Amino acid sequence: MIKFHPTEELLVKYTQGELDASLCLVIGTHIDMCPVCANTVKDIEEQVAKRALNSGSRFANTDIDNMLEQIMNSSAPEAMLREPALKEVMLEGKQFKVPPSLGRLGSRLGPWSKVPGSVWRAPVDIEGQHNVNLIYMAAGASVPEHTHRGSEATLVLNGSFADEFDNYGDGDFIYLGDSHRHSPQTAQEDCLTLAWLDAPLQFTSGIARLLNPFSSLFFR
Amino acid sequence: MHVMPKNRVTREYMNTSPSKTQEVTTEYLGKLLADVANTRSRRAFSELFKHFAPRLQAFATRQFGNEQTAMDLVQDTMTNVWHKAHLFSPEKGSPTTWIFTIARNIRFDILRKNKHRQNDVSAEDLWPVLSEEMSDSSEEDFALDQNILMQEIGEYYRQLPDAQRIVIEQIYVQGKSQQEVSDELDIPLGTVKSRTRLALQKLKELITAHD
Ligand SMILES: [Zn+2]
Repeated sequence: MIKFHPTEELLVKYTQGELDASLCLVIGTHIDMCPVCANTVKDIEEQVAKRALNSGSRFANTDIDNMLEQIMNSSAPEAMLREPALKEVMLEGKQFKVPPSLGRLGSRLGPWSKVPGSVWRAPVDIEGQHNVNLIYMAAGASVPEHTHRGSEATLVLNGSFADEFDNYGDGDFIYLGDSHRHSPQTAQEDCLTLAWLDAPLQFTSGIARLLNPFSSLFFR
Repeated sequence: MHVMPKNRVTREYMNTSPSKTQEVTTEYLGKLLADVANTRSRRAFSELFKHFAPRLQAFATRQFGNEQTAMDLVQDTMTNVWHKAHLFSPEKGSPTTWIFTIARNIRFDILRKNKHRQNDVSAEDLWPVLSEEMSDSSEEDFALDQNILMQEIGEYYRQLPDAQRIVIEQIYVQGKSQQEVSDELDIPLGTVKSRTRLALQKLKELITAHD
């Protein structure tokens, strides 16, 4: 069972199109995996739509007639062609299924690179920024304790990891504001996550602090 | 103050007052969309346009604060409604919701085009509303909880009396209307309705007792 979901506030902003495309991607992927949030979003859509379109402005009749004519005489737009969606990713000889929201942007997935601590990452290129990454932690891996100048959203695609606060499994969505520090780690099981950051990580403990000047190379 | 050019206002502008528009039901708007999809009905589209265009314009003006951009959004949205009405399906939501999601996507793309970025993600990638080849099958694999839920419900549903179970199956699994079930099983519509109501009541009892 999925234990952690985006807040209703995030789902409303998602539905209204008021979040970064990159955060929309992470939330959309959670919704693919989570029938509870899929239902909530349906309700939110109905409500938001009603409110957005509940009253009209005065509309000049001549404008109506002109626009109606133009529209009904316009030629049909070309069917939207989309690249075939990415269905799975391969890493360390393992195959992971990719939910459709991520799959639709699969062509933006960059190459894997290794990060200290048995961690791999592959950036998803959303408008030239690399603030969404697939992050793979092998079993028994850890990311040094870190904090963020901004926020962090993590979605578990497969496997499980733990931090100081809890254990997280398939479909769990964790959103941390800038005041939180945590050090994610895996135990017996490996873990593939989709992670969004709005600012580079800041490592907070011991020798890992030395990584700070380079953290943007790893996670952004 | 008493020299407001009242006549001119009523003749030149269409005013959509809430009391008047509440009479336009979801079912009616859905029927208009179906007419546009099935027969390219210009009359049905004109009605949809008169209902939605002023609302879209008010929405877009609030969003952009710019009348020209707002009108572009109205035109783009309604052009999609005209050409893509066949993609609307009442099971997924109301006509208002569908048209809102089209407008939401267009707004999202307009706001990003203004930033002149290369290789932008399009709203349609994030929220596919108008893609023809949308198939739900690929999504099933990921809704694991749903499968478990369906299995559980399956057990409850086997506990229903045959007469109720058959009706529920035709409506909720095969997606038939109550009228169609009534015709096919040759039982009165009232009976279909009462069996549905009783079955749902029973299922609800079983599910809540289980929790
Ligand atoms: Zn959820």
